[in-house]
Amino acid sequence: MWLIAGNTLREAARQRFFQFLLLLAFTLTFGARWLRDFNFGAPELKFLADCGFGAMAFLGAALTIAATAQLFFSEVDNRTALTLLAKPVWRAEFVLGKLLGVAALAAVFCALLTGLLSLVLAWREAELVRLLPDAVAPGGGVSHAMVALGGLMQWLRLLVLAAFTLLVATFAQSQLFSVVTGFLVLVVCHLQHLAQDAYVRAGSAAGLVASALISSVFPDFQVFQIADSLAAADLPATGDVLRVTLYALGYSAAAAGLAVVSFRRREI
Amino acid sequence: MGAPGPDGAAGTPPAIEIRGLVKDFAVGLRGLRLRAVDHVSFAVRPGEIFGLLGPNGSGKSTTIKLLLGLLEPTAGGCAIFGVPSGKVEARRDVGYLPEAPNFYRFLSGRELVVFYGRMCGLAGAALRQRVEEVITLVGLAGSADRRVETYSKGMLQRIGLAQALVHDPRLLILDEPTAGVDPVGSAEMAELILALKARGKTVLITSHLLGQIEDLCDRVAILDRGRLVAEGNVSELAGAPGRLSFETDALPSEEIAALRAWLESRGRRLESVAPARRRLEDVFRAHVGRGARSTEEKR
Repeated sequence: MWLIAGNTLREAARQRFFQFLLLLAFTLTFGARWLRDFNFGAPELKFLADCGFGAMAFLGAALTIAATAQLFFSEVDNRTALTLLAKPVWRAEFVLGKLLGVAALAAVFCALLTGLLSLVLAWREAELVRLLPDAVAPGGGVSHAMVALGGLMQWLRLLVLAAFTLLVATFAQSQLFSVVTGFLVLVVCHLQHLAQDAYVRAGSAAGLVASALISSVFPDFQVFQIADSLAAADLPATGDVLRVTLYALGYSAAAAGLAVVSFRRREI
Repeated sequence: MGAPGPDGAAGTPPAIEIRGLVKDFAVGLRGLRLRAVDHVSFAVRPGEIFGLLGPNGSGKSTTIKLLLGLLEPTAGGCAIFGVPSGKVEARRDVGYLPEAPNFYRFLSGRELVVFYGRMCGLAGAALRQRVEEVITLVGLAGSADRRVETYSKGMLQRIGLAQALVHDPRLLILDEPTAGVDPVGSAEMAELILALKARGKTVLITSHLLGQIEDLCDRVAILDRGRLVAEGNVSELAGAPGRLSFETDALPSEEIAALRAWLESRGRRLESVAPARRRLEDVFRAHVGRGARSTEEKR
């Protein structure tokens, strides 16, 4: 499983698509400083952080969905899966290896961007302190622990997304279907709290059932917004972080388990 | 499927045992069934080269996939050295070269063989030694550090054979190992297969090159539309019982007439007289063998 994961990461990292998205995300994160006129009233450092995390969220989701579908279907379509599964390898190892490889890719992506974002924020904060000594209140500077936590939350979100996309890929007949469905899952997971509110407000029994179904089948991506500030004082409690981490791991494990079951029956 | 079949020696299970194998595929939305393999049964003895023949769509590759546990049979079953095919353990002693193999293009030949060796549980010095052995055996020592994407078809087949051999399996399954390969590469592959047999390996091979199969195989099975239509020794199947052919130096026409008369005086008939011919493949190999190989290695 680890060998397959390593090989998957290696294959993904050599693809120009990954390199392009990484470069684009770097550009957005680094170049946000020159976009401050579009800050909509937010403080500058917060605006820079939002740009960085926005790039991570949007481009990371595109990367995760495309990489998961592409790396899975390249094995099936190029028939490298035939050679691999003719070795003493469990199908579960193949599926989990693919998921771990994509998870590692997303981790590299998030880690690099989080590191860059921290550097950009530290650099700009130092500049602001030098130019406007009163602009940053004592103790009100950038909490790099908070930035790191934000990066971790982004990665957990991408992990869940990869597991759901892989689940779709194990029974889909085309890569395109997997990609489109992956994006639909992303939208549903982002908006499901709105749907829940609407159904609950409507008060009908069918609405409540629909609400319960959506909220149990799809994870709510809003729970990953626990690091929405740059202040150390806003750092969430360890219990909250653990709860969100377990929430993400639980959904990922459930989707990966279903993917294993689905792939066991797939004819290659 | 665990018990030894009739073809296995006492206490030794056959290398491959296939009994009543059936595979149906669902076609279209109405769930129509297409039968790709239809009650096929045969066994392959340890140490022999067995040819699985048949036209396109006859069920050869499906049979191989069923044998490797890549597909679930609709009915019947297969076993490898007595272990049912569905189990991962059955694949520990098998090396598989698929038809028109495709490998991770971003790896070098050596990295590829190392990867598959690790998948089979090899590690450390044993892995390194084994990788060098098989790369040398298949004749890719000079190209092992090139990326697989730069390999020719013949080289892909050879690196495919290397990955199949890396864990030193007792059984090799080669699906069209010479498809798309030039006659020289094809002949070299045949020599390799014979060398593997000499080392005690069992080989199941499918090929459209019947001449090559005839030279290589101890026994063959012929499939047609999923059914087993013939099985036996090559000499039994291809031979013409009760008939002989001679090859002599060139004879003048009067001596041929005398020979015919002599045979007729004994109640025999001289059926045909024709100039002896070499096979075109042998002519080709004699002319381009070494040149072709060195050119391919340099590319």
